[in-house]
Amino acid sequence: MNPAAHSPMLSRLAEQRATGVLLRDTGALYLAEGEVVHAESPAAPGIEVLLTAGGRLSPETWQEAVAAAGAECATGRWLIEHRTLAAGELEISRLGALYDAAYFVLSPAAGGPSRFRHGVRHWFGSLGGVPVAAVEGETLRRRLLLESLWPHPRLDAAPVTVARSALRPAARPFLPRRQAAVLGLADGVRTPSAIAALLGRPAFHALVDVRRLAALGLVETPRGSTRAPARAPAWFQNIGDDPDAALLRRLRVALERL
Amino acid sequence: MANTETALKDAMTSIEGVIGVALVDYTSGMALGTLGGGKDLDLSVAAAGNTDVVRAKARTMELLGLKDEIEDILITLGGQYHLIRLLRGRGKSGLFLYLALDRGRANLAMARHQLKSIENDLEV
Repeated sequence: MNPAAHSPMLSRLAEQRATGVLLRDTGALYLAEGEVVHAESPAAPGIEVLLTAGGRLSPETWQEAVAAAGAECATGRWLIEHRTLAAGELEISRLGALYDAAYFVLSPAAGGPSRFRHGVRHWFGSLGGVPVAAVEGETLRRRLLLESLWPHPRLDAAPVTVARSALRPAARPFLPRRQAAVLGLADGVRTPSAIAALLGRPAFHALVDVRRLAALGLVETPRGSTRAPARAPAWFQNIGDDPDAALLRRLRVALERL
Repeated sequence: MANTETALKDAMTSIEGVIGVALVDYTSGMALGTLGGGKDLDLSVAAAGNTDVVRAKARTMELLGLKDEIEDILITLGGQYHLIRLLRGRGKSGLFLYLALDRGRANLAMARHQLKSIENDLEV
């Protein structure tokens, strides 16, 4: 694994202390003053999934927070001010979601161009950023960790299929609860990312569990054709002619305050 | 209510003999925050490595059918104590606090007690 495989564009943006969003076909990385403040990827459950799927927040509370403060890019602050989440807890979930999505955004399998749109802020609001080098270092460490567990990167994006020998529950060895939950949701259609979203866990946790299950022979290791990692839909990547809805909303808020 | 940085600073300043402290996610082995350490002890590496310790212990307990939870794990070296405290509570499962102490200067009972109160401060 080559540590220099990371985007030189990202390092340059960090040096320039740029603010905006870096778009790749695997997701988006939001920067503020050259530090990473948020990351999004279709392969990783967003912070709203992590907070609501586990029952920590009700979907209604989440909607209320986004409606009230999303336009001002202060959703996170709203949640703290209304005492629905404590600052430390929010910070932990936010960091977890950030590193989780960044792993997919910075994946070396990501093809296509990287583009940067200056000035864009994320609607969640930034509560302190993470240096680009720390995000890249963590991404690399995660890739190496997966390699050391079971070196078959195709498992990351392929549907999880229970091995034929493990179909009878009696044939399964003892499994820790978290791995058993992942195996229980494997139906030959869901990808690790989809399983993670159902469980309300970071996608990387599902990748780790799937690699461990495959190493135990409980999950089929895909062979043959290469599957590309999940791509962001076209609308997600298109930064061309469409108006920027987030920007317009912020503009409206500012005008209303005049 | 403290954020990660405050909680770690709290641990560094209030606990006697502390060498370094880290807040770690134990599935991925990622350190969400570290403080202290230095060239003798790389906390990120220690954090990642200790996830295996926690996982092994949790698995053993499930195998034994013990319906209980791990509160903390103590590892005693010649010159250091390493204390692992699993966090419980809403939104914090899957995390642990990792504390490295100088064995000559630390008071173990006191350190455990203080680590517990730091965990509570991280709570809602």
